[in-house]
Amino acid sequence: MNRALAVLGILAVATTACSGSGKAPGVSSGSGPVTIRWSTWGSAEDIKLYEKFTEDFEQRHPDIKLKLEPVAKYEDYHPKLLAQLTSKTAPDVFFVGDDNIGKFVSAGVLTPLNDKLAGPSSKSKPEDFFEGIYGGAKKDGQIYGVPNDTNPEVLWFDKKALKDAGITEDPAALNEAGRWTMATYLDMNAKLKAAGKAGSIFWNWYGSTYSMINGFGGKVWDGGKFVATTDPKARAALQALTKGYQDKTFLSADLLPDSNGPSTQFLKHKAGFYAGGRWVIDSLKKGGELGDYDIVPFPSQTGRPMPGAVAASYLALNKDTKLPEQAFTFLTEFVSKEGQLIRLKDGGAVPSVKGAEQIVLAGGYPAHAQTFLDVRDTGFANYPEEVAVPGLTADINEHLMKVWTGKVGFDEGMTQLQKLVDGKLG
Amino acid sequence: MTVLTRARPRAVHQARPVRNRDGWWAAFFLAPQVAALLVFLAFPLGFAVVLAFMRWDGLGQKEWAGFDNFAAQLSDPEFGLAVWNTVKLALLTVPFGLGLALLIAVALNNVKGGGFYRVLYFLPVVTSSVAVALMWQIILAGNDYGVLNASLERWFGISAPDWLGDPGWVIVAIAVVTIWSSLGLNVVIFLAGLQTIPLQIVEAARMDGADSLRIFRSITLPLLSPTIFFSTVVAVISSFQAFDQIYVLVDPEDNEGAKTIVYQVYELGFKDFQFGMSSAAALILLVLTLLVTLVQFAAQKRLVHYDS
Repeated sequence: MNRALAVLGILAVATTACSGSGKAPGVSSGSGPVTIRWSTWGSAEDIKLYEKFTEDFEQRHPDIKLKLEPVAKYEDYHPKLLAQLTSKTAPDVFFVGDDNIGKFVSAGVLTPLNDKLAGPSSKSKPEDFFEGIYGGAKKDGQIYGVPNDTNPEVLWFDKKALKDAGITEDPAALNEAGRWTMATYLDMNAKLKAAGKAGSIFWNWYGSTYSMINGFGGKVWDGGKFVATTDPKARAALQALTKGYQDKTFLSADLLPDSNGPSTQFLKHKAGFYAGGRWVIDSLKKGGELGDYDIVPFPSQTGRPMPGAVAASYLALNKDTKLPEQAFTFLTEFVSKEGQLIRLKDGGAVPSVKGAEQIVLAGGYPAHAQTFLDVRDTGFANYPEEVAVPGLTADINEHLMKVWTGKVGFDEGMTQLQKLVDGKLG
Repeated sequence: MTVLTRARPRAVHQARPVRNRDGWWAAFFLAPQVAALLVFLAFPLGFAVVLAFMRWDGLGQKEWAGFDNFAAQLSDPEFGLAVWNTVKLALLTVPFGLGLALLIAVALNNVKGGGFYRVLYFLPVVTSSVAVALMWQIILAGNDYGVLNASLERWFGISAPDWLGDPGWVIVAIAVVTIWSSLGLNVVIFLAGLQTIPLQIVEAARMDGADSLRIFRSITLPLLSPTIFFSTVVAVISSFQAFDQIYVLVDPEDNEGAKTIVYQVYELGFKDFQFGMSSAAALILLVLTLLVTLVQFAAQKRLVHYDS
């Protein structure tokens, strides 16, 4: 009997030893300060931007230690987070991308934040953030994730490339005069193409595609239904993009080789427009003549401003955290005005909170930096209906790439796309 | 008589504890393995089988789905493409990889002091698959920036395709990398097999006037057939399970030509949060692998010679 127990004991020990050492969230490190685990994605350079904040936070809160658990690739981040949530070993606080937030919200693994954000210990109230960028992080009026920063999608333009193509009008000036129309933009692209350059470079993501659809006056989602393939104006936008990609007026940044990528093309004045966020400044600083470049929002049919896409990510609180108070302290300070001023000072993002605008405007670059803020204030994060289905945005992008590259004809591609989305929506 | 009656029970009495002790020692040494097997194989396998009949997003409630997941996968063109890509990869890597390994093994078997070459061929096997993929990424990069294409253009004026970007060529590129990485292991296995062939048979054949080609065809190949069979089964299973190198070498999300069944399993589970569907795809892969292995075992009866 004793021997049997010994063998069972060994089995148990071996099983425990083999089952990994998954840490539960919010575990205190003895009698000293508690440790709040948090996670995000990003390169080593991105992660370095958090050092100052961490230093500052730990000085002000000697009872809390922050432990960052980063994942280098965005594509690998959510699978890991899902596995951690399923096994109850997820960090106390974590980033969630705008294409995944909806699923985590509906799965009920995030702490509702309305009361906490409105409470006395909050450093950031719900109304401090722009309504449009809550996207899928808000459901039935309840906030489940706070936008930690944003990146509004704008059109960077190269004054030299435009001049080389015989374009004399300045897009930013046209925008200020209320004459920045889709027709003008497409005409400029045609002239750039005729001059042997690319008109525009787009990344194949919802930010560019849906901004173009909005610019044409079309709808992507309406009443919970995906209408981009049936709404006449949205369809016209997708057709214009398809035509542009196929006659090389538009280039897909995804298809350019790393060694001769979109930034290189733009720096070499081989394209007139490059759709991107504030992060493009970093690329331009690496080898561009900064004065050659400026920004303009995506055009509209009438020339009046229209809502543009805003890339966002959210900071969420694990529902299973054992240290909800300390975890919330970190969350609210991270997304607060002061937190964003520290974090984003040297970064390429735009604050998501009201009152931290000086980060974007202080350097006076680009000349129309205010455009970032205008797009952020009126723009939209990915549609809640879309982000509620994991992988749907990626599938739509992947399918559209087949259309852009001519692997599927436009009409057939639209039919297949509608079928794909309907199938995913169930 | 007394001696005999006393001796019998003693013998029985002595034998029992010895057997019991052996059993306990066996259990002691096997326990970690059995535990690991239960935790890492039996439980996940059983769980995956159950999940294949459920709808589950990894976080919420599980719902019974019956055979819906299987039906959805089997009628999904994406899954069909993944199966076709996997089969193409197997068709490229198994015959070419094993053929090349056999040729090298035969050559090394006849070279004195071939240890250096054995180490050389075996090096890729002990190199991390991620490091291998990153290295080949530099070699196979598209346009003039990849080492291979730049060399082909410069030395031969050949404008080569974008190996990793072109859906039509990417599987060939992956096959080349796979063959390169597994070559050393196959060479070592074949060498071991070659060294079991009795020299006197080869000598006898030579004395009878058989040339090297005839010896290879009539003696080496038949006597090596159990080794070839073993390597083929392992190689087919490995190519059906290909994932890590492909994931690093080319992100299959950007190039559908690189989507294999295991990638489809990963994508369905960890990107789309459809764990039931993902498990169904994994089970289909298991059945497919079993079928192919059964066919190989059936063919073994006619093609493999176990008598020397």
